[in-house]
Amino acid sequence: MNGLGEMGGPIQTAGWRCVEAAAGLLATREREIVLGDLAETDRGAWRGLGDVLGLAARRQLVMWRNWRPWAASFGLALPASLFLMGCSVAASAAVASLLDEPEQARLLWLSVSRLFLVICWAWTAGFAVGSVSRGTLWASVLGCCVPCLYCLSKWPGHGFSFLRLLIFVLPALWGVWRGRRDLQLSLGWAVFLAAVATLAPLMWSKGGWMYGCCLFWPGCYLAATARRRQE
Amino acid sequence: MREVIETTGGRSCSLGALYTTLDRLEAKGLVETWMSEPTQQRGGRAKRMVRVTGEGVRAAREFYHAVLRISRGTIWGESRHNNLPGDSA
Repeated sequence: MNGLGEMGGPIQTAGWRCVEAAAGLLATREREIVLGDLAETDRGAWRGLGDVLGLAARRQLVMWRNWRPWAASFGLALPASLFLMGCSVAASAAVASLLDEPEQARLLWLSVSRLFLVICWAWTAGFAVGSVSRGTLWASVLGCCVPCLYCLSKWPGHGFSFLRLLIFVLPALWGVWRGRRDLQLSLGWAVFLAAVATLAPLMWSKGGWMYGCCLFWPGCYLAATARRRQE
Repeated sequence: MREVIETTGGRSCSLGALYTTLDRLEAKGLVETWMSEPTQQRGGRAKRMVRVTGEGVRAAREFYHAVLRISRGTIWGESRHNNLPGDSA
């Protein structure tokens, strides 16, 4: 910004830095317009900060009138993180068994298949979250973090054993990143991931697979959107 | 635009209210907006320019006349007795 602020000093004061930081909540095009308007009218940094925050809040409210943020955060991120923590524990238990008995081919197959399912399922869910609702990703992250933090607080293990819960995090973040970039999945990949998503709940032993069956929609979403994009 | 609203309306107008209203009007085809060239006065940033479309002018005229008609006979509109376009009686 140029010129002088109403406080008499250069406009690049702490207040204006706050304004520019808050403007990061807005879309790129709108951010430029808003900062330009504030520089032109020069009404002071703190009023500008209120304007920017008010506009960002309105934009968020408008987004939440759509089904997408609700589906992404409460319909997927929150329940899927619980499900994926269970899958992560199951996969890590198989790996631990393999490390105890490395000569067992069955355990090797079990470990590899479970890790593969966790990674694919997490990537699929992350992709769906990232592409369904980009503007409200913060809510999806929050919806994922809350159950994770709760489970971590109850985790009985010691040291870094809590990482067994979080095997899914990196592939999920990768999926979110690709989803936000609106990567167009080919129909073949989408169907493959949807099929994998149907197999992942099988690693649950005590009826948890029924819970996983309620979370098929990310795979179906990928398949449906890929098909539509091809048409 | 914001200054004009605040001066004529006699009340403050937040940037959020202004932009969301403009977005709605643009979505309805009543105004059209485009980006201007960046200027030094704006710190090298572009400006969102606004133009009222023909449909917007018609809608504004209808709204204005509707307000006048509905205000006729009221305390705040009793000084207005002009016939308005579209009035048959």
